Amino acid sequence: MDHRVGLLKEFYAGLPQDRVKLEIREHGFAFLEKLLSGGVTLDYGELTLTDLLHKYKLTNIPPYRMDELLEAHVAKRCNVCLYFEPTANSLFCFNLDNNHKTNNTVIIPEMDYAVKALRDLLCVLGCEPLILASGRGYHVWGRLERAVDNDRLYEFLSRAAVRILAQLHSSGFEHQKIKFNVYPDKRIRGVVSLRLFGSEHAKNKVFSKVCTPEGLLDEAASWAYFENYLASRTISLETFDAACVELGRSF
Amino acid sequence: MAGYVLSRHEETTGLMRTIAIDLDDTLNNFEETLQTTTFQHDVTYGFSAQVFEEYLTRLRQGAAVNEDLLSTEYSFFKYQIHQQCYQRATARADGVEFIRRLKRDGWRIVICTYRDLRRAQDCTRKWLRDNGVPFDHLFMAWNKIVFCRVWGIEYLVDDDPFNIIQGEKHGVSVFYPALDRLKELQPNRARAFHSFSEILPWITG
Repeated sequence: MDHRVGLLKEFYAGLPQDRVKLEIREHGFAFLEKLLSGGVTLDYGELTLTDLLHKYKLTNIPPYRMDELLEAHVAKRCNVCLYFEPTANSLFCFNLDNNHKTNNTVIIPEMDYAVKALRDLLCVLGCEPLILASGRGYHVWGRLERAVDNDRLYEFLSRAAVRILAQLHSSGFEHQKIKFNVYPDKRIRGVVSLRLFGSEHAKNKVFSKVCTPEGLLDEAASWAYFENYLASRTISLETFDAACVELGRSF
Repeated sequence: MAGYVLSRHEETTGLMRTIAIDLDDTLNNFEETLQTTTFQHDVTYGFSAQVFEEYLTRLRQGAAVNEDLLSTEYSFFKYQIHQQCYQRATARADGVEFIRRLKRDGWRIVICTYRDLRRAQDCTRKWLRDNGVPFDHLFMAWNKIVFCRVWGIEYLVDDDPFNIIQGEKHGVSVFYPALDRLKELQPNRARAFHSFSEILPWITG
């Protein structure tokens, strides 16, 4: 197995491993038949407006097929996106997207400000995030040592997001220019999936580089950072509890 | 596919015959549902009843939306109302019978819609199940002609003028419900039908 697949499996171990959203250009019924072998089922498919990029929501994926998909992911033959557990998760993510209809892969000043402010906030709270360039913005991940109830995660995420949006506003930015989603979102289940690290954005082909305070790392450095983050930055429940208290106090 | 009997077409070509079928205003009465349903305002919308009525009027008029942003209060409102329409719309009995007939005859049925299936998949599947509509696959496609073309789907049943006009140029035979709003279309090879049963001889001849 590719070492990088092992890293992905460990980092995302808290997310369901039997369902994915697959982004890939391959299509056609012969391909679909191959894709659905081993008991895999297709919830729905999608032809996007980006070239012939297709998306397939697949469920009932046996472990050996998931390994195959992850191998394809690190080889950049497809992008694997994972969903969150419906009741409790050990991973959380802020998804910051450029909210413009056009030209939305550009990093606008609002985005730049928001991701820095969010990093600072989470670091102050002891929850240093892993920040990945997503194509339209950033995915800001946190990894907990154990699963936490989604209601609690949602409250934590919402409070942090509101704090950042308020900062944007008070700094003279238009917060509507950023689409700020948090996951797991207790209001929706099984709807949104997020691309795993190691992917390329479908539109601009940009690798999901790690964003550090010094800037974006290249691909090799991003993998090294990812491995190091996995080994040393997992957030303890004690720290998370304290962060929740602190965020609650400020409102 | 266990127990499946090859059709004459499959025996001669080795291919399974496939048809793509749209849902809204093709297999159901979406527009009528949108126009006639009494939608209730409540606090979960996050804005006043007055704004709710303004948005509803705008949605029913199909007014163009000149917004620079992707996700707005109005776009979320539109999604919520559309979700209700998906659930409430009535299936065309002749359409359901047509699909059942094709399925019995060994056709592959692809439901092809503009709906955002990320959010509408569950209610769409439930609606299809509740109305006894058999299908093989559920797809969303922003350009259905391209979808049919690249997936090798010969036939599309759909009410969108773009598809009705473009199908011919790209080798996709399009059949569309004879709706008043489609009467002004320039003549082309797409065929209008009053009853789904009219399509059968066109695709099995």
